[in-house]
Amino acid sequence: MSGFWSGWVKFLVVLNLGITFLLFILALRIKIPTRADGTTGHVWAHGVLREGVRKLPRWWIVFSALTFVVGVAYLALYPGFGGFKGLLDWTSTQELERDADANDARFQAAIEPLRPLSIEQIAADPRSAAIGHRLYLDNCAACHGSEARGNQALGAPDLADRDWLYGGDSAALLASISDGRNGVMPPWGSALGRDGVNEVASYVLSLSGVDAPQDWVAAGKLRFEMMCASCHGADGRGNPALGAPNLTDNVWLYGGDFSSVAASIREGRSGVMPAWRSRLSEDEMRAIAAWVVAQGHHAAGS
Amino acid sequence: MALPYKHFEAIEKHAGLLAVLIAVMVSLGGLAEITPLFIKAHTVEAAPGIEPYDALRLAGKDVYVREGCHVCHSQMIRTLRFETQRYGDYSVASESVYDRPFQWGSKRTGPDLARVGGKYSDEWQRLHLLKPQQVVPESNMPAYPWLQDEVIDGEDIQARMRALRFLGDPYTDQDIEGAPAAVADKTELDALIAYLQGLGAKNVPAAAKEGAP
Repeated sequence: MSGFWSGWVKFLVVLNLGITFLLFILALRIKIPTRADGTTGHVWAHGVLREGVRKLPRWWIVFSALTFVVGVAYLALYPGFGGFKGLLDWTSTQELERDADANDARFQAAIEPLRPLSIEQIAADPRSAAIGHRLYLDNCAACHGSEARGNQALGAPDLADRDWLYGGDSAALLASISDGRNGVMPPWGSALGRDGVNEVASYVLSLSGVDAPQDWVAAGKLRFEMMCASCHGADGRGNPALGAPNLTDNVWLYGGDFSSVAASIREGRSGVMPAWRSRLSEDEMRAIAAWVVAQGHHAAGS
Repeated sequence: MALPYKHFEAIEKHAGLLAVLIAVMVSLGGLAEITPLFIKAHTVEAAPGIEPYDALRLAGKDVYVREGCHVCHSQMIRTLRFETQRYGDYSVASESVYDRPFQWGSKRTGPDLARVGGKYSDEWQRLHLLKPQQVVPESNMPAYPWLQDEVIDGEDIQARMRALRFLGDPYTDQDIEGAPAAVADKTELDALIAYLQGLGAKNVPAAAKEGAP
């Protein structure tokens, strides 16, 4: 705070406190003249109400005096009196740092024993996975849902079904969280035409055992092998290196009804998992990965 | 030192004089607390990496203000641990020099958005603005479906950029000339998403704090 404005604030604070204090002292010493009946002679409502004179209660005087003491003490200890930093040298950023350090120490104590463990080992211990659960809810649930069951409207994968787009080992999981993923299915509508889209959609559904018109399935198979097999594989089992989904397991990222599958083929899809590297530490990402792995175990066991 | 009662009586018996004297005492506080910061606000310089909003983000910012997003969402991460842990580094004034009106506050019906850029995908933001409960079932955020129907007017954005340049924002002639092309065929929804995805994303918190007022 520059010199002028510091002086400005100091002047106004002294002026304000000074006037108030002076009034406080003077008002205590003032002698109010009274009439014979003990009132001041001030009347309201045509003399129905008359103003009497009472001494201020002691508690009120003491309380008022204390507000001056507290006010002056505050200005002496904390920043507020112009540029004066206060005797305690308190700042909000220092308090935040102390707070964050204290909390970090608690987090380190909790996370330290997990560092030598593999993600599978952390997942096996419910108390450790609980750390990941909290972080998951804060950061991941907005897309993947609070139960980790994904969101087909968004194309956010179900994380508890043990079906993985990019591989489910810990390295692949951590890479997905840390660096994010960009899943791109190009649009095939103009190349395939309306019939072509229907045929391929029928064939894709038939791979998962869903009933579809037989002649469309047969025609769709030929088109699939020409246009789709390079990413999804000749057998439709997908490719984790590309994030191309397995089309034979009846697990659907954007919905498994005919119109959703046809829309995926016609218009393409673009699924984006943001990179969390800059927002989460390695420890935090490992804890989240462990909780996700544990969800797969629960789903399999139930 | 006993002051004659007549001086007090003069104030007590004249409501107009009483009102004026009360106004004087109350305004002392405002003069001390508001005036210095008001004058200082005009001298805050942009933190490194903080640029004026490009055409599309500027359009999105105005949609944000028009729709009253600030009624539920602040853009000010306070120096409190539970805020910095959830939202990121605390906000400093030099990050908000191009925000007119500024978006500081502590109203948190929804989460703070000061550094929400990049936290979710564009598609998430799109779905969340059109049908919030489809991505967050527990959310009480209202839907804004009309945003996808309104197309941004490039000339209107140019006029706003000229007005902001008049107020001191460093837009170049090229910035203003390129505005219609930058917002061509973009809807208000596209603009708002571009604005949200830029929030805090271009900031360099460590550098910003070195020059913090």
